[in-house]
Amino acid sequence: MNMKKWWIALTLAGVSTLATAGEQVIVYNWSEYIPEDTLQKFKKETGIEVVYSTYESNETLYTKLKLMKGAGYDVVVPSTYYVSKMKKEGLLQKVDKAKLDNFKNLDPDLLNKPFDPNNDYSVPYLWGSTGIGINVRDIPEDSISGWQDFWNPKFKNQILLTDDVREVFHMALRIKGHSANTTDEAHIKEAYEYLKELMPNVRVFNSDAPGEPFLTGDVSLGMIWNGSVVQAQEDNTDIQYLYPKEGAVFWMDSFVIPAGAKNVENAHKFINYMLKAEVAKDCVDYVGYATPNKAGKALLDDETASNPTIFPDKETLDAGEFHNDVGDAVLIYDKYWQLLKAGK
Amino acid sequence: MKQTDVFRWVSVVPVNLWLWLWVLLPTLMLVAVSFATREPEDLIEWTLTFDNYARLSDSLYITVFWDSLWLAGITALLCLAAGFPFAWWLTRLQPRWRALALFLIIIPFWTNSLIRTYAIKLILGKQGIINNVLLGIGVIDAPLDMLYTPGAVICGLVYILFPFMVLPLYSNLEKLDQSLLEAARDLGASRLQVLRKIVIPLTMPGIVAGVLIVFLPAMGMFYIADLLGGAKNLLLGNIIKNQFLSSMDWPFGSAISIAMIVLMGLLMLAYFQAAKRINRSGGIHDSTL
Repeated sequence: MNMKKWWIALTLAGVSTLATAGEQVIVYNWSEYIPEDTLQKFKKETGIEVVYSTYESNETLYTKLKLMKGAGYDVVVPSTYYVSKMKKEGLLQKVDKAKLDNFKNLDPDLLNKPFDPNNDYSVPYLWGSTGIGINVRDIPEDSISGWQDFWNPKFKNQILLTDDVREVFHMALRIKGHSANTTDEAHIKEAYEYLKELMPNVRVFNSDAPGEPFLTGDVSLGMIWNGSVVQAQEDNTDIQYLYPKEGAVFWMDSFVIPAGAKNVENAHKFINYMLKAEVAKDCVDYVGYATPNKAGKALLDDETASNPTIFPDKETLDAGEFHNDVGDAVLIYDKYWQLLKAGK
Repeated sequence: MKQTDVFRWVSVVPVNLWLWLWVLLPTLMLVAVSFATREPEDLIEWTLTFDNYARLSDSLYITVFWDSLWLAGITALLCLAAGFPFAWWLTRLQPRWRALALFLIIIPFWTNSLIRTYAIKLILGKQGIINNVLLGIGVIDAPLDMLYTPGAVICGLVYILFPFMVLPLYSNLEKLDQSLLEAARDLGASRLQVLRKIVIPLTMPGIVAGVLIVFLPAMGMFYIADLLGGAKNLLLGNIIKNQFLSSMDWPFGSAISIAMIVLMGLLMLAYFQAAKRINRSGGIHDSTL
């Protein structure tokens, strides 16, 4: 290589370091969980570059943070009990609410949940549920009322389940009258025995995009996330969402700041920006999940704000259950999950 | 220093460093972890144990192992059955067309296999191309259930891995001395005899290489089984993933990985042994032919 080329290479390297040396915030979020233009708007307003990447399961997020001892990211978005789990293991740092003037926009009913009683460590972003998806062109809506209906032999080889051990066991545990957060092996085993009877009806497990098999017509009944139904309805209004009578699975995804975050100041700025009423409104319109942001919800058009698929009433909410950390009982769940899938 | 020495140094050292750092070292770490104990807080506790390997004999894992083996075996056989005639046909083409045909085989590699798997979903689905055509011309009255079946998984694996079978077969068949075939025919061998006694023995290294190259990845490609089979069955890959992400049992996950590597190693060893024997007995000087 001649001298000239060396110079060019060095200069380019220098420029690129300068470019990344500007203000930034490293965000790690669920895939397809933020409107496409939000990050650019944030940069325009604050000058802070968002380094953005995505994951598709809490387990992936947790394992990465665990390995890096809570460093590498400035803002991440774990669900429900992963907040308490990560807090307990020292992977999170406290959020300084004094720096979040938009925190007041949040609905007090959706704050101070058991996984973070004072919201010292987490700021809710979006919340939603796993319930029943149904294509009303193929199956009459009034013939289905709960998880129990999945066991009907006439649905042989037709049901979609999420590929998530806790959600699938949630159904059977609730039908059998147990908490979906049980750590009692006898309960879990009972649920497993019952789920074994469901397996001939199962056509597919899908936790990447459970709305897609509904859209392609491959399934007409199954478990689904409410936001997936809202998104799918843009293409096909026959796809509807039901809250099962035995209780839906509820979750809440929250912004947290990992213990080893480098850009703590910018992380607060990012979270505060996401708490703006207009931004929260855009998020609901784009991803189809409910916002805990009262001011943001007020900006939604009536049709969206009163859509029970997105915003269930209090009764439905009380009938369902938020998942908690089950500790080492996760090994029991995993054991029976593997047995279930291996057909034993 | 001579020019060639510099070249050798520059080309060999980085590759070696790369392999040491990113292949050998992680594998050794995996071996070490596979003898450690699960510890949910710190992931790994350095207490020596052989339990992780003992657990492999659990009937659950034996079942999963057989399922994976069966799936990979069927895939390899189908690839061979389709690949052998195809590779043979390739060698018969004019060189110009041959280059084009090889090129066409390789083109799909330019697209990520995950994307191609999604495309297969669109073809096999209830409202996919096959069902729509069959319904349209009146062959069937109701859509066929093709997606989310074991057949769909095998279809996907065969499609993705087919080129890996064709290429080694082709390179072996191409080297086949045509005069041997003519001689056999002159001496009164039937077409079948030529195939059985000359073509197959001489191309055995290619056949074994192709089968291994298809078989080994097929054991691990769990995402194809998940996407096309509906994630209803567990393969070894799924179990390893679960151990690392969900159960947080890294030592056991490592033990399964190492067991798989050892198995593949044994298969490779069998291949080299077979190749050696074939070379010794399959050459043109062999009097048993």
